[in-house]
Amino acid sequence: MPSEQAGFFVKRKISHKIQLYNVYSSTYSLLRDQNTLLHGRYHEMAPNVVPMDYTKDPDVKLPMQLIINMPELKENPFKERIVESFSEDGEGSLSFNDFVDMFSVLSEMAPRELKAIYAFKIYDFNTDNFICKADLEKTLNKLTREELTAEEITLVCEKVIEEADMDGDGKLGFADFENMISKAPDFLRYYF
Amino acid sequence: MSNIRCRPWPMRQKLRALRQAKEIVLKYEGRLTRTRGYQAAGAELWKKFIRLAYNFVVIFIPWEMRIKKIESHFGSGVASYFIFLRWLFGINIVLTIMTGAFVVLPELLAGAPFGSTVSKTIPKENIASAQDLDTIWSLGGYLQYSVLFYGYYGRDRKIGKAGYRLPLAYFLVGMAVFAYSFIILLKKMAKNSRMSLASASDENYTFCWRLFCAWDYLIGNPEAAESKAAAIVNSIREAILEEQEKKKSKNLAVTISLRIIANILVLLSLAGSIYIIYFVVDRSQRLERTKKELTLWEKNEVSVVVSLITMIAPSAFELVAALEMYHPRTTLRFQLARVLVLYLGNLYSLIIALLDKVDSMSVTDSDVNNNASNSTISLATNALSKDGNLTIPNVQIKRNGFVTLEEHRTQGLTDSLVNQTIYFNTQNPQDQCWETYVGQEMLKLSIIDMIFTVASILLIDFFRGLCVRYLSDCWCWDLESKFPEYGEFKIAENVLHLVYNQGMIWMGAFFSPCLPAFNVLKLIGLMYLRSWAVLTCNVPHQQVFRASRSNNFYLAMLLFMLFLCMLPTIFAIARYKPSLSCGPFSGQEKIYDIVSETIQNDFPTWFNTVITYISSPVVVLPALLLLFMLIYYLQSIARSLKFTNNQLRMKIQTERTEDKKKVVQMAVARIQNLDANDKRPEQETDIISQESSVWSSTPRKNGSVLNFESPVSKGTRIQTISQSVPQAVPTSDVVRPANTTPTASTSLTPAPSVSSVQKPRNDHITNRYPSVVHRSASELCKTKPYTPVTFKKHTEDVHSDPLFRKAIRQVNSDALGAGAPVFLGCRPYATRYFLVNENESRKKSLRSTSRLQRHFRKEESGDIIELYPRHIRRYVVRTPHQMYSPHPSEDEEDEEELEKEFMNRSHRPRSLSDLHPASRFYIGDHADGHILMSKDLGRVHYKSWDDGFEQDLDRPPYAYKKVHLNYPEPRVKPKSKQKLEQSLTESDSISIESSSDPQNSSNDQYIQVIHTKDKYPKTGGKVTKKKSKNSVDLSMSEPSELVCSNV
Repeated sequence: MPSEQAGFFVKRKISHKIQLYNVYSSTYSLLRDQNTLLHGRYHEMAPNVVPMDYTKDPDVKLPMQLIINMPELKENPFKERIVESFSEDGEGSLSFNDFVDMFSVLSEMAPRELKAIYAFKIYDFNTDNFICKADLEKTLNKLTREELTAEEITLVCEKVIEEADMDGDGKLGFADFENMISKAPDFLRYYF
Repeated sequence: MSNIRCRPWPMRQKLRALRQAKEIVLKYEGRLTRTRGYQAAGAELWKKFIRLAYNFVVIFIPWEMRIKKIESHFGSGVASYFIFLRWLFGINIVLTIMTGAFVVLPELLAGAPFGSTVSKTIPKENIASAQDLDTIWSLGGYLQYSVLFYGYYGRDRKIGKAGYRLPLAYFLVGMAVFAYSFIILLKKMAKNSRMSLASASDENYTFCWRLFCAWDYLIGNPEAAESKAAAIVNSIREAILEEQEKKKSKNLAVTISLRIIANILVLLSLAGSIYIIYFVVDRSQRLERTKKELTLWEKNEVSVVVSLITMIAPSAFELVAALEMYHPRTTLRFQLARVLVLYLGNLYSLIIALLDKVDSMSVTDSDVNNNASNSTISLATNALSKDGNLTIPNVQIKRNGFVTLEEHRTQGLTDSLVNQTIYFNTQNPQDQCWETYVGQEMLKLSIIDMIFTVASILLIDFFRGLCVRYLSDCWCWDLESKFPEYGEFKIAENVLHLVYNQGMIWMGAFFSPCLPAFNVLKLIGLMYLRSWAVLTCNVPHQQVFRASRSNNFYLAMLLFMLFLCMLPTIFAIARYKPSLSCGPFSGQEKIYDIVSETIQNDFPTWFNTVITYISSPVVVLPALLLLFMLIYYLQSIARSLKFTNNQLRMKIQTERTEDKKKVVQMAVARIQNLDANDKRPEQETDIISQESSVWSSTPRKNGSVLNFESPVSKGTRIQTISQSVPQAVPTSDVVRPANTTPTASTSLTPAPSVSSVQKPRNDHITNRYPSVVHRSASELCKTKPYTPVTFKKHTEDVHSDPLFRKAIRQVNSDALGAGAPVFLGCRPYATRYFLVNENESRKKSLRSTSRLQRHFRKEESGDIIELYPRHIRRYVVRTPHQMYSPHPSEDEEDEEELEKEFMNRSHRPRSLSDLHPASRFYIGDHADGHILMSKDLGRVHYKSWDDGFEQDLDRPPYAYKKVHLNYPEPRVKPKSKQKLEQSLTESDSISIESSSDPQNSSNDQYIQVIHTKDKYPKTGGKVTKKKSKNSVDLSMSEPSELVCSNV
């Protein structure tokens, strides 16, 4: 299984952090400290913009550039897409709510369905609710750092669509995607 | 609350939802949550701990990082080699512990110290040269007389204070090494095959998973990310390769001929190499016999040649394999198999040579023994064999005996006697220890192998890499891409090398207890060296392919090797007599005698007898048979399981494809649906018109009965139709009354009276109304064409009109209270309708939107114009109607009415039959086709109609017959009048109020009855429709049956 990587320890450590941050949405009242932890992270990215006091629910948004430099996302080939799909305005700037949202989905405690939904969003580059060939090519290029040749890319894209496209429309709808993902053995383990 | 987390909402929405949910929970749950909270926290903590422990364990998996790194850069194939290496390392560690703890350590601690016995001292002649490099190189001197080899171990039955039985332990450990290896190998193989079975089924989404599930979202450091990216590229390339291999068109003739040629070549090279080895071994043996002093080259000739062959031949095989054009994985397997054969050939020629030597040695031993028993020196030799303490005279005697015997023995040989005797004379008695000799050879082989490995790595990989890297700039061609290139990692060779190496260990382990320990060191060194070489000097294979996940092939080879290596050892143990002068078993006839001896001496006698019984053929043979049977049984079970497994997999496959087909069909159907929507309206309108024509036709037969009453009767009829028939047309008509009343009232006449008027009537219609209201959705479309402008309002009115509904409810309850039994009878009836209608309406509404317009245009375009005037007219006509009607009075006399109802109900059986006559009326109207004229009359006539009704009551049988006759009619009926009909019915519906209200008591009954009545034509009409909607038809027929039973 070509799965785990050399960054084994690093990965585990980070997942720890994420686990700490995540629970915001699930058990608000019980684990408020985690919420504040998360808020701390949010705050430290732009100390002069984000207020420490969030009781008044101020409307503050952080630009994408700051967020994708977080260690958790820094090396992710889809970092821009991740941030974009979690931002409410679609531009990539995250309010604190979006931020928490992102962490809760990326955490390992998030349910599989939810992850699938957001994974679909992330892979859907042109936000047309379908993963079409262009999306696939982009995904591949990001994933492989453009090391594959053009023929290889087209071949892979064709194969992917052939495999997962159930309704024969030449692109993957969410149903296709979810169906495919649900059968992947290590989706939960490695994805997100 | 936990569900909220699963929703893909933005956080704000979630928060809101959660706040609400929490309030509710707080209200109802109270303190329960606190314990829950502790539990959750505990679970969290436990999870964290597990994770920490896992991390901790991972640190101790040796070379995990290294292997992962290699895997990411070179693919799973190369990584599989290292994983295999690691696994072997694990096995060797266990073997080392076994031998170390039970054999080596006790001997060192409790055994006789070095130099105390002859077998533990270096012979005087050799002491001088004991520390020469040459001697050490050939593992002589001090090394020979050390724990490394069999000969050093004492023959005392018990050593130390505790009485450790070293010889027994030695034997048992030797066997346990084999047993353990077998068990662990088989276990691993079983596990692997299980895994491969389990994972084989999800090969359907290879590319998808490689694409979407590839990235590890937890990667945080750049190096890892880079290697992950490399790994993904590799895995995708692997998948592509697999795909291409599947597609590859095959020119059979060429490939087959090529393969045949390749195999011939391989066989030739195998035969050649085996011959060379045999030749070398033979020569070295001759040399050993003939020459006194062997040079370094002569001593190591065999091992060098063997190593050279094992180095060169695989490359040749690889070249040949390129001819064959197999899938890389198959190529690898072929390569492995061939190289394995080569290695085996080497090993076996070696073994044969060794055994030859051993044979000659033990023959001399046995000769000595023979001699001893026969000759006069028997005493001395006996002493020798008993004590093991060889004194010089004894040796002298022995040697003499030797010489003479040798002479006798070799008399026939042409070989020089002198040399032979000299050879034996130069040997010390200790040298006669063949076990040590075998151990030495094995260890030597292992060492030389190691050296060659290192050398080849350095030379072939490292220096080549260096040259290519730094000389390419000043060379005349591109070194990096043309001739020398960088080395590739050759999986097949390397794996086999490991297998071969392990085989040597197994073979030698019995005679050299420290061999596993040595192998552990060797493997560690190999691991580091290899991984370093791979990462620095090798380039990834151009065709990266996926190693078969289980690597069972490697293991199978290893198992094979183990078996083959065990054979000679076991053979030697069983066949040869242990050396007299050395080792733990000296003085015994056979090595395994130690076991029987121990059993005899140290166990109770009963155990001994039991053992003898067990080992007798009486027990052994049946046991063997039983084993065979068991094997056969298990085999057959496995086969059947495999079969079912395949079947199931095929089933899954077909189901999957079927699923796909189904989905595609659905999609196609959806598309077609959209297209068909344009067509369908026509169909439906046909049906509708048919139905309407049914009405018109049925009456016709009895058409003459009451013609004038047409307006009134028609109105009611339509109502009833709508009740019984959830079909589009009637329903729409039903709604009409409801709809139209308010609109009519607002637009044309002051309405208050209408609503009040309705009240009494509601009694009877209670059953009906719910259905009407629900149906309204479907009606939207239906009604639209006719009254396009007001249509929306109508429906809204229906829904929103509170007065109306309230009235229904009230009356309903009233009625219930008063005439429960009767009503109950009706109720279920109604609800059933309601259900049916809903279904219907849903379907309808789907189609409706697109249909509307067409319908409208096509059929109504002309009619509508007609309609409108009619509507208006009728309203005008009707309003007075209502005013006249006896309603108001009944409004006040609710009770009375109820009673009346009762009366009617009780008559019901009869009334059913009455319906038919009722239906007859209408027919007449339709024949007229124009109700306009009669409408005005309707008011006047309705009383008389009522009378007619009463009359009808008296003759039920007749009516029944009529009904039956009516069935076929609708279908046959031509559609000529459809249009007219429809328009008529529509317009009629408006008059429902007027007609139904006055009828009151009779009305109720009438409705009910007509219910059933209508059904018949309805179903008739349905039949034509059947093609399109079976289900509806069924549901329709059900109520009709119900009615019948009611009757």
